[in-house]
Amino acid sequence: MTLSSTPGPTPDHAQPAPSRGGRLRRSFDRHWYAWAMVLPTVVVLAVLIGFPLVQGIWQSFTDLNESNQRSEVCTKTLGGGETCKPNPDAAKFVGLDNYVDVVTGERGRFWLWFTNTVVWTFACVSFHYLLGLGLAVMLNRPMRGRGLYRVLLILPWAVPGFVAAFAWRFLFNENFGLFNSLLTTVGLDPVDWFSHRWTSLFTAITTNIWMGVPFMMVAILGGLQSINADLYEAAEMDGASAWQRFRHITLPGLRPISATVILLGTIWTFNMFPVIFFVTGGQPAGESEILVTGAFRAAFEGVRNYSLAATYGVLILSLLLVFAATYRRALRSQGEVW
Amino acid sequence: MSTSTSSSVTFSGATRIYPGSDRPAVDALDLHIEAGEFLVLVGPSGCGKSTSLRMLAGLEEVDAGQILIGDRDVTHLRPKDRDIAMVFQNYALYPHMTVAENMGFALKIAGVDKATVRKQVEEAAAILDLADYLDRKPKALSGGQRQRVAMGRAIVRQPSVFCMDEPLSNLDAKLRVSTRTQIASLQRRLGTTTVYVTHDQVEAMTMGDRVAVLKDGLLQQVDTPLGLYEKPANAFVAGFIGSPAMNLGTFSVVDGHARIGDGLVPLPRSTVEAVGAAGQVQVGFRPEALLPASEGDPGSFAVQALVVEELGSDAFLYGDLVGDDLRADHVVVRLPPRGVPQKGETVWFTVEPGGLHAFDVETGAALPTH
Amino acid sequence: MADPTLAQDAGAHTRAATPRPRRTRSPLASVALHGTLGLAVLVALFPIVWVVLSSLKPGYAIQSSEITLFVEPSFDNYVHVLTETSFPRWFLNSAVVAAFTMVIGITMSASAGYAMSRFNFPGRRGLMWVFLVTQMFPVAILIVPIYTIMANLGLIDTKLSLIIAYCTVAVPFCAWMMRGYFDTIPKELDEAAALDGLGPFATFYRVVLPLARPGLAVTAFYTFLTAWGEVAYAIAFIQTDENLTLGAGLQQFVPRFNPQWDSLTAGAVLITVPAALVFFFAQKHLVAGLTAGGTKG
Ligand SMILES: Nc1ncnc2c1ncn2[C@@H]1O[C@H](COP(=O)(O)OP(=O)(O)O)[C@@H](O)[C@H]1O
Ligand SMILES: [Mg+2]
Repeated sequence: MTLSSTPGPTPDHAQPAPSRGGRLRRSFDRHWYAWAMVLPTVVVLAVLIGFPLVQGIWQSFTDLNESNQRSEVCTKTLGGGETCKPNPDAAKFVGLDNYVDVVTGERGRFWLWFTNTVVWTFACVSFHYLLGLGLAVMLNRPMRGRGLYRVLLILPWAVPGFVAAFAWRFLFNENFGLFNSLLTTVGLDPVDWFSHRWTSLFTAITTNIWMGVPFMMVAILGGLQSINADLYEAAEMDGASAWQRFRHITLPGLRPISATVILLGTIWTFNMFPVIFFVTGGQPAGESEILVTGAFRAAFEGVRNYSLAATYGVLILSLLLVFAATYRRALRSQGEVW
Repeated sequence: MSTSTSSSVTFSGATRIYPGSDRPAVDALDLHIEAGEFLVLVGPSGCGKSTSLRMLAGLEEVDAGQILIGDRDVTHLRPKDRDIAMVFQNYALYPHMTVAENMGFALKIAGVDKATVRKQVEEAAAILDLADYLDRKPKALSGGQRQRVAMGRAIVRQPSVFCMDEPLSNLDAKLRVSTRTQIASLQRRLGTTTVYVTHDQVEAMTMGDRVAVLKDGLLQQVDTPLGLYEKPANAFVAGFIGSPAMNLGTFSVVDGHARIGDGLVPLPRSTVEAVGAAGQVQVGFRPEALLPASEGDPGSFAVQALVVEELGSDAFLYGDLVGDDLRADHVVVRLPPRGVPQKGETVWFTVEPGGLHAFDVETGAALPTH
Repeated sequence: MADPTLAQDAGAHTRAATPRPRRTRSPLASVALHGTLGLAVLVALFPIVWVVLSSLKPGYAIQSSEITLFVEPSFDNYVHVLTETSFPRWFLNSAVVAAFTMVIGITMSASAGYAMSRFNFPGRRGLMWVFLVTQMFPVAILIVPIYTIMANLGLIDTKLSLIIAYCTVAVPFCAWMMRGYFDTIPKELDEAAALDGLGPFATFYRVVLPLARPGLAVTAFYTFLTAWGEVAYAIAFIQTDENLTLGAGLQQFVPRFNPQWDSLTAGAVLITVPAALVFFFAQKHLVAGLTAGGTKG
């Protein structure tokens, strides 16, 4: 390699000799910094999510729990050493027993929780989306006080989840909550919100809708602003009414962002732990649990049952994977490349 | 401003195949550019001009072949080690830096001291008439000014090669013409080797010392502008260079003549020999290579005028060949501005001596015409 | 792409696309619009306002079924929480944890997002899917295995354990969002920087990052919120009172049968204030930052 006497930055010493090392070497030279940039994230995710996931899949086929997790029982000998022999009660492989137990309702109330989860997710995500869409469309119009409206409407997003849960639980309190006070003031009977499955779920759903609308609204607002304004003017000249413009320009223009936020929203809501946990606490008698909170209680209250927790984890993950795959296919069949 | 040491550039079988594509975007490009030369790469959109330039700049991988700057093999060097400056189509000015910071950025990175950077930036700004804008952000500049900042950023560095990828395409027509001459004269002043990409053959013809014509990733011809114009290597170059384009059509060869419409235009002996048994030839003549003639003149053919454009200094006649052997879409003829024929009139022309080009029907390669 | 300004202002589309002012809006429509938005604002604010009002009341008045706005308003509850409980300590812990989560989370998600936006490296597509799948595995169920890992690393009862755990929660979404934002910054800028002599890392932090402010603001907001006031991991990993963070610490005010509503309301308000501050700094950028991430799958 001849170095010419050209001015400018001096060649980097780390420069690989060309044509030596071949393709593999070049591929590494070209991609090492990309890998270096994703490496921290990948390592952390692999250790804290990937590893437990793989471990969980394995554990879900065993009967591992807090009391049988040791594989050896050790006793101190007089000389200060230790002798260990295999633990006769050690966790063992049980095949699909856990799954069978869960799905047949032998342990936990899978179908009740599953129904609750579906109702909960569907209600929350549809209201998030519809309210978010409505508010975003209104906020996207030029008007006085628009900036202020926007800030105030996004504000609930900044309220930490358990504070929001606490605030709503406070409002729904059966004895002194604002809602029951209002009901008594207008002469109605107070409602025992947490004594019925559906009113209990209703409080949680209300809370979660309140918390989740700002995210949707912001995302959709951005989507609206990325729609070319010329389209609206063209449509107006074609004589399209306001509704027709919304139907034929706004909604299609929002498709990419909608597809994304609905998928994410569904996944997040499905696994939303703190709202149910803090607002209803499963009252009455666990009837308002969703899968994650139910599983958490079933597996971790009392003797910690790792294998049961893992079984639920794998089931939840599978349900969501199936959902995501179906969703993606549905979008694709409508020509959306996601 | 001191001139930099400029280097020659050599593409040697340089090939780029984009992942997921089986056809090379640039196919075994062989091209040598002398130190200090202004070379224009021209071709229709998608022919691989930008890819070639980006391979030289190190922004695109080279899948086969080599690229040399001077006698240094840079094929696998990183962009920053090639001593190249580039002007992008969209200028790619750093939006968060002022004009002065944009222009001096490369020097700053190279560790040049502040005073020197400032001095060089000011010199470049003076040349480009940007002195008043040094503290503005690119957002606050007009299109033409941004273009000049992009130029300034390149020249401040005094690189050994300039790469420019359609740097004028975002300017309005008038500014484009004036900037064209400014760039060309600046390059001559600095003497820096320049590779300039454009799809506009007028730019290519007016700016380049030499012009390289690309099509579908294949180099068609490299020559001076006049060389390309007068001796196109094939029918593609002939049709691409020149405005309005050369008239090209495929005609049958009868008795050493091409049957053009109803007329019989004599072909040189060498052409006839080259055509051989094929019996057909692709014939080209430029709009200005036709001479008015009368019906019955030897070698004349008839054109029926469809549209006549009068531009003041010239007039252009667009017409159809009269006769059955029609293979050319339209015939364009440049006429003196006075006494132009009327629409619908039939006019006779002959091809002026030496004005006839002949190309192989199959390959498009130029055939001898002497 | 004929706009030569490139990313002068990556949020520029925001302005361009706003529909022109309607020439006139009928008074009725105007009232309906402002009425609806006003109602929405009311719903958005009233739980917060109600908690704030309650926090100013003495304990007995909070637990009264009469509706009153003010009863002997005072800051007694705040004084109590701030001076007679470990609240200030928890607050400080939370601030440290949230700040580090924010810094580390931004660093990780910005660099991963940049790599995914710019480099076509082997494994890129798979990574996008991995990010999505990590969102599907329920956190609640991950707590125990993560606890075991933390225990093996000797990190139980440390702030670091929380910071790492919060990063796993926030980074996949943020990285994916940052990637979308980086996609809106023209690649030519990177190329110009490469020719100007910057390596990939220097290009990233000297040229691209300064232009990604809206994306970074959203990431900062999101990572902060993830860490600030989180409860489940905090309860699981932290064992000593002096290391507790707010979310976990406040649970002490909620014994099973006798919640201390006066301390709780004051604590809730105090927790929300810093989050609201971060929100006000980030809110201007939220729309531009989040959308870029969203529109690109
Ligand atoms: N990044 C890319 N990936 C795949 N194909 C590309 C890419 N860039 C350009 N191409 C293809 O390579 C060919 C040449 O492109 P280019 O060099 O940009 O042409 P132009 O002459 O217009 O500058 C085109 O067919 C184009 O579609
Ligand atoms: Mg191009």
